[in-house]
Amino acid sequence: MDMMMNDESRMLQDLVQRFVERELMPLEAAVLKREAETGSYRLLPEEEAPLLEKCRELGLWGLDVPEEMGGVNLSALDRLMVEEEVSRTITPFEFPPDSPNLHMLKAVATPEQREKYMVPYAEGRMKSCIAISEPGAGGDPAGMITRAVKDGSDWVINGRKIWVSRVPYCDFIILMARTGEGKREEGVTAFIVEKDTPGFIIEREIAMIGGKKTYELVFEDCRVPESQVLGELGRGYAPMQLRLNIRRLQVGARCVGIIGRALEMMIDQANNRATFGVKLADRQAIQWWIADAGIRMHALRLMVQAAARTLDAGGDVRHEASMIKVFATETAQEVLDQAMQCHGAMGMTRELPLQLFYQQVRLMRIYEGPTEVHRMAIARRMLKSRGSRS
Amino acid sequence: MKLLVPVKRVVDYNVKVRVKADGTGVETANVKMSMNPFDEIAVEEAVRLKEKGTVTEIVAVTIGPAQAQEQLRTALAMGADRAILVEAEGAEPLGVAKVLKALVEREQPQLVILGKQAIDDDMNATGQMLAALLGWSQGTYASKVELSADGAKVTREVDGGLETVQLKLPAIVTTDLRLNEPRYASLPNIMKARKKPLETLKAADLGVDLTPRLTVVKVEEPPKRQAGVKVGSVSELVSKLKTEAKVI
Repeated sequence: MDMMMNDESRMLQDLVQRFVERELMPLEAAVLKREAETGSYRLLPEEEAPLLEKCRELGLWGLDVPEEMGGVNLSALDRLMVEEEVSRTITPFEFPPDSPNLHMLKAVATPEQREKYMVPYAEGRMKSCIAISEPGAGGDPAGMITRAVKDGSDWVINGRKIWVSRVPYCDFIILMARTGEGKREEGVTAFIVEKDTPGFIIEREIAMIGGKKTYELVFEDCRVPESQVLGELGRGYAPMQLRLNIRRLQVGARCVGIIGRALEMMIDQANNRATFGVKLADRQAIQWWIADAGIRMHALRLMVQAAARTLDAGGDVRHEASMIKVFATETAQEVLDQAMQCHGAMGMTRELPLQLFYQQVRLMRIYEGPTEVHRMAIARRMLKSRGSRS
Repeated sequence: MKLLVPVKRVVDYNVKVRVKADGTGVETANVKMSMNPFDEIAVEEAVRLKEKGTVTEIVAVTIGPAQAQEQLRTALAMGADRAILVEAEGAEPLGVAKVLKALVEREQPQLVILGKQAIDDDMNATGQMLAALLGWSQGTYASKVELSADGAKVTREVDGGLETVQLKLPAIVTTDLRLNEPRYASLPNIMKARKKPLETLKAADLGVDLTPRLTVVKVEEPPKRQAGVKVGSVSELVSKLKTEAKVI
């Protein structure tokens, strides 16, 4: 319990906790069954509709949307607290609108783009995704070779993108492409490409672990007008980075929620299950799993909160975001592994959420930058700046 | 019509309560605290009555530590109009009832709605004591409340059924579990609650002496439940009930 939390944050947490407990948790058994039997890890429309209705009623809508667009514009601290709470359940649900590109649009969209894309996006009437990785450039997006070439007043895009989420539900995608020469991130520009633009082809669906799907995209002489350039020409990398930093803190908050759930399940199991006449709770191996999980969950939550406060104060959290991404995913992976072990054969079933969490966290160690790339970046910064505080 | 809703800060219903090592009470340090669920039902009922138009103002009050203003903010977010915190630690039901009487005299409400009991000490006394101190009518364990300008019809959950009483106003109503299902305080209302007035008083300001009259001798956990046994036949069951359980 956080004594420093103000009244509004505490009540918001209470509201979200109740929503998760009473609306989302009861759907878990059906979600797990469906995922195990059909591979589909999505809510049915009849399950989702009442949840969206409830969110509208409760004002849990547009949490990170700017106030001038009718949103709540929560602080990063509160937004991440909400993220932690909603991550405790395996039921796939995000508070609408699903808005990962909002921060990037907010930073660089022109007034026309705000009107045409950002407003409907913020209101939940449009969906979008972002295409960064390529078959030859993943953890190092600076190696991308998808190219946009100016032709009259248009841009003609050719190339290939991969590991893009949510493509079939999206009304537009943000596409990163090279528009000029330059090392690493120089010369990379962001474009808004609407679905059904000729030459924008969904090549194939790729089934991932953790119930997720991603898509490979091909751009074949895909022609878009100048008005689709998002932000400055050749400088698309920095706003994209801004988006990624927030995503990485979200990964941290999600892992706190997941660890909390796994820990709770492990504690219940330890208190109830006896082997050879001794309760698991009385065995040191299990006690240490529980103690270590508790210690690390606390540390991780503080890391996320500290970074959120820095972000709210206008600071740069690139370094902290990397640290959080590494620590969160590795810790969650280990705690989930122990929670599954603690449940024995039951932990291996697809009836418990643990295995699906486990797969999802495994995935998190890759997306938004693999662990090793983050470690490399952390070390590089530290080696270059000996004597600075962090 | 003005309505007074007393609420209490208690250990959250989801928390597994632990007895303090020295047996003087239960652990509340670093434990999640919430509004007593029966009081939440009382706030909800008050808000519904206001939405129906019979009530014009809802005043939420609590007698407790400074942090109890959290529960008042929750009441404000649910729909109360203003709140009063009377700072006091560990007040007993009679003391609380006396403070409430003083507040009733100050605020002049027509109806006081509160939980039938608090889930921490389960005293189930404050509402009844307040009715006695004021000489007002009371409808306890309410599962339905119908309010009109001159009276309240209260359906009560009693042993073996439902009893309906007609109260003259002013009156006290205490709420039972099935009266309603409290709403979630919505995010816009949470934000609005910040701007609603919250007044802080001391019991002495109201001329009430809260010196305890009760002494807690000891607080202990209930005995652990023994594991059950499976019996093979009815005759074995009967013999065990006779010889071991000694209940027949």
